[in-house]
Amino acid sequence: MPQEFVQTHAQEDAAAQAEQDAAAVQSTAAQAETAGDALDSVLDDIESVLETNAEEYVSSFVQKGGE
Amino acid sequence: MPQLRDSGNNGPGATVERSPEFEGFARIFGVETEYGVSVTGAGRPVDAGQVAMTMFRPIVSRSRSTNTYLANGSRLYLDVGSHPEYATAEARGPLDALAQDMAGELVMRRLAAQAQEQLRGAGYGEHLRVHVFKNNADSAGHSFGCHENYLVRRYVSLEQVEHELLPFLITRQLYTGAGRVTDEGFEITQRADYLDEAVSSATTRSRPMVNTRDEPHADPEEFRRLHVIIGDSNRSQWATWMKLAVTHLVLCVIEESARLGRPSGFESFALADPGEANRAVSRDLTCRASRLRLADPSAAQAVLAADPNFDDAGGLDPSAGLTALEIQRAYLHIAERFFADHRDVMAAAMPSSDDDAPERPEHPEDPGRDGWNSLDRVFGEWRRTLDALEAGDRDAVADRVDWAAKLRLFEALHARRSGAIAQSKLAQLDMDYHDIASGTVYESLLRRGMMIRLLDDADARRALGEPPADTRAVLRGRFVAAALDAGAQFSCDWTRLTLTSPEHREAVILDPFGAAPTDDYERLMAAL
Repeated sequence: MPQEFVQTHAQEDAAAQAEQDAAAVQSTAAQAETAGDALDSVLDDIESVLETNAEEYVSSFVQKGGE
Repeated sequence: MPQLRDSGNNGPGATVERSPEFEGFARIFGVETEYGVSVTGAGRPVDAGQVAMTMFRPIVSRSRSTNTYLANGSRLYLDVGSHPEYATAEARGPLDALAQDMAGELVMRRLAAQAQEQLRGAGYGEHLRVHVFKNNADSAGHSFGCHENYLVRRYVSLEQVEHELLPFLITRQLYTGAGRVTDEGFEITQRADYLDEAVSSATTRSRPMVNTRDEPHADPEEFRRLHVIIGDSNRSQWATWMKLAVTHLVLCVIEESARLGRPSGFESFALADPGEANRAVSRDLTCRASRLRLADPSAAQAVLAADPNFDDAGGLDPSAGLTALEIQRAYLHIAERFFADHRDVMAAAMPSSDDDAPERPEHPEDPGRDGWNSLDRVFGEWRRTLDALEAGDRDAVADRVDWAAKLRLFEALHARRSGAIAQSKLAQLDMDYHDIASGTVYESLLRRGMMIRLLDDADARRALGEPPADTRAVLRGRFVAAALDAGAQFSCDWTRLTLTSPEHREAVILDPFGAAPTDDYERLMAAL
């Protein structure tokens, strides 16, 4: 199987597997949560985004148009 | 110019042999996505172009070009304006196309991670972060696309597409729209503000909503390629699957009507002004306030009058325009009736379709792979989604419709903060939702079970390594893999495989449905 220009396969796959296992546990837990609780957890997860400077983040994304 | 398929009998009495897929409803699906790139936290100035070139350095070093094909048959390249772009390998069904699209996200994520590491190491600072956006607009008003490709039978005319497919494409955005935070408020679609003419066979300057391409990448006597430009880039797996699946259903009806020279019924719902309707749909978060003007209201009236089941509530008044929901229901109604009469042929055209696949009782929401390939499932989702939107129950679809997911999140944030949220913050969350490299919003929603999955990460990894098994992508993928293994120089396009070194040899693969090797192909592979 050719190297599809990435050396990170093995590490990434292991990390992805670990995250999926964690997600499997979490999603069963999530089923027990209400949607409201789950959304609260999402807001907790994205706290770091909520705290960064929005204007800087947004204005950093400038591209020319595509087709 | 590729030759017609040779039936082997070239005498004057020879009939033209049609490919087996020409009859029936077999379809080739493709999704091309232009990604946006940005960088934050850099210690020194660096722009999108530099980041994109850094991402593509491994491709350039192996292919001497920013344009290459992968071992799964897909195309990966750096587009005009520094857009990394991924075009999926040919797939026979929406679920396979979804897997290939997810493989594209995976490639971009890996390239971004590498570029991030490289740039950090090259003195741009350890806080540098690469963002790769699977969306359709940057912060400065530039727009870029997620285009769908459908192989359709030759006898479908561009005019038929404009009148019959366009109203569907504009209104399907009720559930395929990715949503966008704008200065004027939240909209259902990413692209409505950027699209001009409805239909065009020209390509670049103007931005039509749909066109047919001269290069069908198939036998032009049998097929043409429908190129749908009006479509948002979706994070939701369901939305990607849904837009392909439902459009396919509508195309089946249109093709049959063209084949038989009989009206499909869709023509009655042609819009008076598609551009205006598109903008109206995008701005109407209720999905049922805006009335879209029809080109010929009396035609629609006649269709409704002829079929009592069409408007059982008796509320439709085409002369006053129809809402997007009403138009979608009309399409659903016609498609369902069509499916009832053509069930077996349509099911046979789908890969591993099994309409009798048992649903897993402990996971009614998760039908498993065969379930998502079932056309009954497509109709079920279509109906359920329209019912929910009509009832104003946006939360019922917030786990699968991107714009609804965003709104639900914004509302939750609003409730937690109990105060207005700055527009720039909403714009940031909107962008983060589409960031496949460094995003947190969609990733968290997925992890917390707030967005549904049709496929998992293992499916995406598999699709990165392997082409769909039932199209010519198999041949291309195998060729690319062999060439890479052998350290040979090669190039491809959709219909041609070219070995350039150590020797020059070529094979043409004209039939998109053809996964079996041709003689030319065997000779090409033997040279590797």
